[in-house]
Amino acid sequence: MLKLNIQSARAILSSLTHANVVKTGLVNDTNLVTSYYLTNKLDTQSHNFSINYQQVAYYRRNNFTRPFNWVKRRGGGYDENINTDNKEFLNQVLLDKYSESPLKEAPWKKGEYNANSINKRLGLLGIKLGSIPQWTKDGKKIHTTLIQVLDNHVIDYIPPEVLIERNNIYNSNAKRTKNGNLGMAIVGAISSDPRNYTPQYLDIFKNAGVPPKRKLTKFMVSQNAVVQPGTPLYAAHFRVGDYIDVGSHTIGFGFQGVMKRWGFKGGPRSHGSTKFHRKRGTIGSGRDRRPIKGMKMAGRMGSKWRQLMGLKIWRINNKYNILYIHGPVIPGPTHSYVRITDSCLPKNRERFTAESHPPFPTYYPDQNQAIAEEFFDEELHKYTDPTITFETFEVKKITKRDGAKIARIKS
Amino acid sequence: MFQLYEKIPYLLARQPNALKQTIQTIAARNYTNTVPNRILEKARRSKLGAAAKGPSVGSDERPKLEQAEYSQAERDYKYIYPDFLPNPVYYFRDKIREKLERIDMINRRKQITIPEFYVGSIMAVTVSDPYAPGKSNRFVGICIRRDEYGLKHSFTLRNVIDGLGVEIMYDLYNPTIRSIEVLKLEKRLDDNLSYLQDSPPEYSTIPFDFEPVKLLPGMKVPVNMTKVPLKNKPWRHAWDRKALRGVILPEIKRYQHEEYMNSSSDFKPYEKWDLMKNYRETIHDDDHREIVQDIKKFESEITDKQEIVTAAKKLVRTRHIPKETPSNEKK
Repeated sequence: MLKLNIQSARAILSSLTHANVVKTGLVNDTNLVTSYYLTNKLDTQSHNFSINYQQVAYYRRNNFTRPFNWVKRRGGGYDENINTDNKEFLNQVLLDKYSESPLKEAPWKKGEYNANSINKRLGLLGIKLGSIPQWTKDGKKIHTTLIQVLDNHVIDYIPPEVLIERNNIYNSNAKRTKNGNLGMAIVGAISSDPRNYTPQYLDIFKNAGVPPKRKLTKFMVSQNAVVQPGTPLYAAHFRVGDYIDVGSHTIGFGFQGVMKRWGFKGGPRSHGSTKFHRKRGTIGSGRDRRPIKGMKMAGRMGSKWRQLMGLKIWRINNKYNILYIHGPVIPGPTHSYVRITDSCLPKNRERFTAESHPPFPTYYPDQNQAIAEEFFDEELHKYTDPTITFETFEVKKITKRDGAKIARIKS
Repeated sequence: MFQLYEKIPYLLARQPNALKQTIQTIAARNYTNTVPNRILEKARRSKLGAAAKGPSVGSDERPKLEQAEYSQAERDYKYIYPDFLPNPVYYFRDKIREKLERIDMINRRKQITIPEFYVGSIMAVTVSDPYAPGKSNRFVGICIRRDEYGLKHSFTLRNVIDGLGVEIMYDLYNPTIRSIEVLKLEKRLDDNLSYLQDSPPEYSTIPFDFEPVKLLPGMKVPVNMTKVPLKNKPWRHAWDRKALRGVILPEIKRYQHEEYMNSSSDFKPYEKWDLMKNYRETIHDDDHREIVQDIKKFESEITDKQEIVTAAKKLVRTRHIPKETPSNEKK
């Protein structure tokens, strides 16, 4: 692990000029992207933030240490003894500030789907609402969970050239890479009052031009699927009938005993057992004079990162931005944050062709042409349809043979 | 009942963990990665959230709720349509999910007539079945239970056929259901008649050619006051531990019974006086108001078409089941 002081690391990052990026020659037709980084990004320190993202991979929470460029999120605040008139005035100022279009520059060039290369799109950051049953046209019952995509915006994009340089500073030798094709896009959900946050946190949203978000995630994105910061994301980003991966934290139960956490049997209630009712037996010790690693014992239960893969989208509501996803067992309690991406499984990827693929890079709403309020899968039963009936068909009777079966000899 | 009231401190002393456990189970859940319910509702309505609204419709206007007091007919919706009530557990609730569920339920109710029925009423259900001859199946029985909330709502019918007890659970909003008929509308003394499993079969046998009984408008929904004797043990559940009204228990030795009652964890007669528990497990009138508006709108669209709804409107619901009249035999 390469260890650096805070000051020296920041000095290296700030010395990364954009000229170095251009020399590599990886940036081809995204000139607008490069100009964006020349003007805004690399001069400011807002590029180098690191904050509480929605988790992407599993790590041990107990040993979690904050990186040196950690940004404190909550803080600031304003004078509580302010007049009511002035309060309303400040609220109006906020609305005026964010009512303008967040896109400061001319729109970037939209990438196109390329059948020969990697097409990795953005994902969404949703909120789990609960589960309800649905029925197919065959009369089968399905359980679906509802996930709302609330107020999602693209907030930042970091090109792969910068990512490589970053990784070389932070990561160990084994993890270092010199060439990568994927950039990193940052997506936030639920905009809120900027007066409750620190100025360091607000710097993150300066370039996107949207109010600060309660939660952020990062997605690895291929270069043709780049979306300009400030664009809103909707549930129509996905298509009905496609498959997705979903990840979130499970319900946390705190410190639990061995019976609840691992389902051990415990001891007898009576028959002379003392102080041995909900305990486990021996933990064992071999020649190493220590218990084996991974021994099932009491400890913190739940609140772990879990991911489900290959879930079908049955139905989409475009009024409230809601996805109906297959299965009642998406991890976490109601109103927990859920991270949704295109499924990486081959059964999903093989469906896509150059003609039929999900909206690329995202769904852009067209003002002239309004879309339908709800999309249904072909196999799903709509409640406005009449009751399901099955057609009768006649089984053919097996005709009896008239005479005895006689073998014919070939002449 | 008065004797039980005296026993409460004794029972609480025996089971001090009963209240604690309910509190602990809620408190033990760590809602780390969630949005609080209050903030989520605020965010859905805030003007800062530009992308909160979907691309299909411009604005999500909340319906204006009438502040007038309830009429008696509107209060009865809780008993006629118990499936429209949401789950009262607060950490399962979500306003938009409940609304979307309600739209689906009403759309389904426009396709077939789902009449008013209670636990204890005799019903007939026909379902389209791919494996049955004629592709449909009809079943008659007593309604034993009604479970779950919203689209998940289900009811079970029980009958004894050729000496064998049969129970079928139907989802109320299953689109394969062709028709639901109420042959005899009545209530029983209990909300759950699962104890018919351990009673003699004549209490749950109903002929398949049962003739429907009509009620005159202006009548109260009748309450069937029959008490069911139970068989000897073993039972499916410990019925004597539950405070049931429509059951005649077999004779148990007195000292056995009292020990049994006191030691059991299911027997909680003191919960009747727990006001907070009642508040938690019921939906308040203000919370119910949005549902009433949706049902009113649905009924106004459909009353001309469906005769059953109009006939049921004229009935009078008794909210409290009448107390037992003292029999003359004791005197």
